[in-house]
Amino acid sequence: MMNIKEKILSALKSVYDPELNINVVDLGLIYNIEITESNDVTITMTLTTPGCPLHDSITSGVRYSVEGIEETKKVDVNLVWEPAWSPDKMTSEGLKLLGR
Amino acid sequence: MIMLPQNMGSETNIKLPFSFILFSLIALVLSQILLLVNGQLIASGTFRIPVIWSSAHLLVLGWSLMAAMGSMYQLVPVAFLTKIWNETFGFIQFFVTAVGIVSFSGMLYWSPQNAMLPGILMLLGILMFLFQMFMTLKTQAKPTILTAFVGSALVCLFITISLGITLIYCLKTGFAGEYYQSIFKAHLLLGITGWFTLLIFGFSYKMVPMFSLSHGFPMVQAKYVFTFYISGLFLSLISFFTNNSLLLKIGFFLLLVGFTIFSWHISLIIKKRLKKTLDKPFTFALVAIGLGNLIHLAAFIMLWNHRFTNLIGALVYAYLLLWIVLSIVSYLYKIVPFLWWTFKYSKEIGKNKVPSLKEMMNEKIVIPLFSIFIAAILSVFCALTFHITVLFNIGQTILSIIFIIIAFSILHVLKK
Repeated sequence: MMNIKEKILSALKSVYDPELNINVVDLGLIYNIEITESNDVTITMTLTTPGCPLHDSITSGVRYSVEGIEETKKVDVNLVWEPAWSPDKMTSEGLKLLGR
Repeated sequence: MIMLPQNMGSETNIKLPFSFILFSLIALVLSQILLLVNGQLIASGTFRIPVIWSSAHLLVLGWSLMAAMGSMYQLVPVAFLTKIWNETFGFIQFFVTAVGIVSFSGMLYWSPQNAMLPGILMLLGILMFLFQMFMTLKTQAKPTILTAFVGSALVCLFITISLGITLIYCLKTGFAGEYYQSIFKAHLLLGITGWFTLLIFGFSYKMVPMFSLSHGFPMVQAKYVFTFYISGLFLSLISFFTNNSLLLKIGFFLLLVGFTIFSWHISLIIKKRLKKTLDKPFTFALVAIGLGNLIHLAAFIMLWNHRFTNLIGALVYAYLLLWIVLSIVSYLYKIVPFLWWTFKYSKEIGKNKVPSLKEMMNEKIVIPLFSIFIAAILSVFCALTFHITVLFNIGQTILSIIFIIIAFSILHVLKK
């Protein structure tokens, strides 16, 4: 049986960067998942480049996907630029999808 | 009926860039239909006719300029991390420019002597755009080298238009008649190498790393590109008005050096990419850089040839089509799917399965289409260089058909 964090990670894996066609988890965009006792969730994440034109779409997608989990209550997405995204944050699966 | 996209959140209202790009594609199709329908006249070598004026202005202003404006409304907030100064003003500007270009091209076709008034309307639209961009860039927190490229491109556009008006005034009144040729050369140089090239340079520095997912590349080369290219523009301009051929050679050499550093810099960025296989349309944007560099080299070498004045027309044509038009078309294959995706799927992401941007476009068509496109341009280039009318007619007809297919294949995204 999956715990809530695993469910959130699984939901986030369904959110794809449409330009790269890689999910936000394998791209290394998710920095932190914070869950309170009352199941309010705060996702701290970044994007591959500041001013990414898909900024709103991807952050909204992250929120929608976590809101879709039955146990979660309030969902916040905290977009940060520090530390800046770098390729070493990607998973091996993500790098494989880029042909690396 | 196509519904125009609405925006979400803090991004640019995509309805704005989309209006410009949709208009530009329709203008492109119209300009080529006009050429094809009147093929008989062109085949007989009749160029200075209203239909050609109309088609040329639909192509250069209706397509290239409107596509560039639409792309800027989309890319300026992305590249400079600042919002468009006034979106409502942007829609008014679109309306004024669109009505100006349609009535100007129409008047050139039906009643060229009455083209002045729509011309003024079109000019007003372009000036409104320049004002919008000036106000937007002014709010940027920290100007970068990209600001220098795009800002200079806008200044060049302003001077190009001013020189264009001066040319019309010269023709009508005989004012500054002895400088007519110099003004015409300056108008051409600033219009294509100033406005378009500097604009593509600037946005390439944002788009190339974004589409190749490059990381950890140097940016120091960009300031050398800027310095050499701007110096080349200045010296070439001075040479036009002083008739100093040595100065022109130095100017063209500096332009070549600037462009070559740019090509080399882009290759450094591409080497640092994470995305191993690049999208096909984007690959052609990179091919366009190589072609642009080659044409700069050819122009510099040809300066030593006594037939330079005869060859420059063909070189300008090649530069316009193989560097500027190919770059714009390649990037439209990325920008239009993005705009349409944002409209249709940005509320679905995270809830339902959504397509990737690559799936929005038929990539299979790109390599054959763009290859024929380049071959047709080269045919017209050879025809212009060696004065072969048959080759010109064949090349231009193929080119017009390919342009129409390209426009429809981009518009096909709207069905996805």
